[in-house]
Amino acid sequence: MVSVQESEYWRWPEQIWVDESKDWKNAEVISCGIDLGSVSTQAVIMLDGELYAYANMRTGTGSVASAEKAINAVLEKIGDMKRENIHYTVATGYGRVSVPFANKSITEIACHGRGAVYIYGDSVRTVLDMGGQDLKAIKVDSRGKVVNFLMNDKCAAGTGRGIEVVCDLLAVPITQAGELSLKVDEEPEPVSTTCVVFAKSEILGLIRKGWSKEKILAAFFNAVASRVVELLERVGVEPDFAITGGISKNIGVVKRIEDKLGLKALKPKNGLDPQLAGAIGAALFARALYLKEQKKKK
Amino acid sequence: MGENVENLPEIRQFKEWFEKRHEYAKKWKEKTGGKVVGYFCTYVPEEILYAAGILPVRILGSHEPESITRPYLHDMYCPFCHDTLAQGLQGRYNYLDGVTIAQSCLHMRQSYFSFADRVENIEWSYYLPFPHGVNNPYAADYAKHEFEKFKAAVEEWTGTTISDKDLEEAIQVYNKNRELMMKVFEFRKADDPKITGLHAMYMVVSSQVVDKAEHNEVLESLVEKLPEVESDREVGTRFMLIGSEDYDEELFKLIEYGMDYPATFVFEENCTGSRYFWGTVENGDDKLMALARRYVYRVPCPAKDWARGDFFGRRRFQFIERVIKDWNVEAVIIAQMKFCDPHELDIPSLRDMLDKMGVPHLHLELDLTQPVGQFRTRVEALIESMGEEDLYI
Repeated sequence: MVSVQESEYWRWPEQIWVDESKDWKNAEVISCGIDLGSVSTQAVIMLDGELYAYANMRTGTGSVASAEKAINAVLEKIGDMKRENIHYTVATGYGRVSVPFANKSITEIACHGRGAVYIYGDSVRTVLDMGGQDLKAIKVDSRGKVVNFLMNDKCAAGTGRGIEVVCDLLAVPITQAGELSLKVDEEPEPVSTTCVVFAKSEILGLIRKGWSKEKILAAFFNAVASRVVELLERVGVEPDFAITGGISKNIGVVKRIEDKLGLKALKPKNGLDPQLAGAIGAALFARALYLKEQKKKK
Repeated sequence: MGENVENLPEIRQFKEWFEKRHEYAKKWKEKTGGKVVGYFCTYVPEEILYAAGILPVRILGSHEPESITRPYLHDMYCPFCHDTLAQGLQGRYNYLDGVTIAQSCLHMRQSYFSFADRVENIEWSYYLPFPHGVNNPYAADYAKHEFEKFKAAVEEWTGTTISDKDLEEAIQVYNKNRELMMKVFEFRKADDPKITGLHAMYMVVSSQVVDKAEHNEVLESLVEKLPEVESDREVGTRFMLIGSEDYDEELFKLIEYGMDYPATFVFEENCTGSRYFWGTVENGDDKLMALARRYVYRVPCPAKDWARGDFFGRRRFQFIERVIKDWNVEAVIIAQMKFCDPHELDIPSLRDMLDKMGVPHLHLELDLTQPVGQFRTRVEALIESMGEEDLYI
């Protein structure tokens, strides 16, 4: 008998991390960024603008509870830090207005731009944020400030949630799907739609036709990459190019986007997790806002 | 201390007329015994209907999901034409005696034909050809010729004769309405624009569905009060709204009242805004020619503006350029109805023009209902990209 756990192929590993080499008590500004997305929630703590700790959790049915869960997880990991030790918190993401302990909310578009420069360096000019239920193509300057952006409309086709559904359908763990999709001798035609519902029906047809999982994944990721590239080309891709958000960890999607664009995506500095870009950007804004407030007080 | 604009009885009256437009028309009919004609699109010379004692009302949707129009309209026709037809099919316009359209776009034309065929109690319908090439030197002659036939059809149906005097009086009422609404829009040039885009939308759309003479009385009172009016809301980013018809309260409420950053629409360049009323009828001896000139030379709908070449040379774009300067517009929201081909064709040139002018802009695709959360993120991100330099340390 298959356990519930084993059948949850969509489930990606939640992470909680703290930089043990740093002592938060020495920091002048402790800032926090919460990225409350539709599928995942990140809480990031930064000490004087440097990453110190984070939690990357699945968003639950309640926005407030998801934000609380992420911040509690990271504080628990740190051990002796309390919420009141945090000087300023900025919330971002789809649920940014539902974070009760945030001092301010800033859009995920601005936060991903800022966070991408932290993760990839100031040469980044085009950021692709591939999230749980939307896609954003963002052009930034060397500070990560948004110059222009485009976001997909209502339909969430070709986003993280779609990939989760396909992994479940094919019984492929989501963390392995990207690699598997590259194990094809020849790239198949993309599936004709990235709409989750239609793609699901089409994929069932491909299963019946006897296509391998690898080939089906390749066809689906090919379609996802085509949709993404269309969005990128509308905003205009200017190197250097970087990808943030959860799908940036899917090599099968990333490689296909790179091939279609004829452009390599930057690699994150120091192995930083690009899924944290929004929360990092938020935490950096939180620091700037706190310093601005302090300056006003003087 | 002046009165708060939100409490002004005039604004509340516009809102009530907007919300209870069907009730208004039914009561008007009961009171006057007159006929009510629904019209699609703002190229219908309402003055001719008004001169015959008819109440012209613009046919609008309700922004509610529906699934009853698919047998009549293609899925990829715009949500507005579906929504208008849905109202008719649901019996909400059963008080109409007639229906008419001046040729604008194919989607609306199809909605009109289905409406005329399917809605109960419609005893008269008239399809009014109107030139697309409004920049053609013969366009006004053509329109006048069609207006003559339209007038004759109205006379035959109602059994009345529309005299020049009747037309003159109707033109006066309509011109007054236009002049007063232009005055209200003039106030919006100021640092404190007095009213919001939501108020302006209530004002303009209510003028499309009530007796203009009655509307004029309220407008006159508003124009008198506006200099003393105060607003307790922060103006924030001065937006201009450009695009298709847009009378969805949700969009205005979101952008002007529901975001983290303050923002105010100071001008609406759409057919539920300035495109409806901007420009009066220049009266002359030939009433129908005067009317034809007004409708042909008004700020055109993108379905009509066929001039080629430099976009700064196009009439609608010249108008937009002037408004941006005179109303001190800081950013533009292009709100286009999904599947609206005329606007879709215009938007690339419009974006180019705005880029050349250095005006930030954002394109939102309108549907029957709006993805409020996504729109909010986009508009807030646009505002963030326009300032907040000190956050980048």
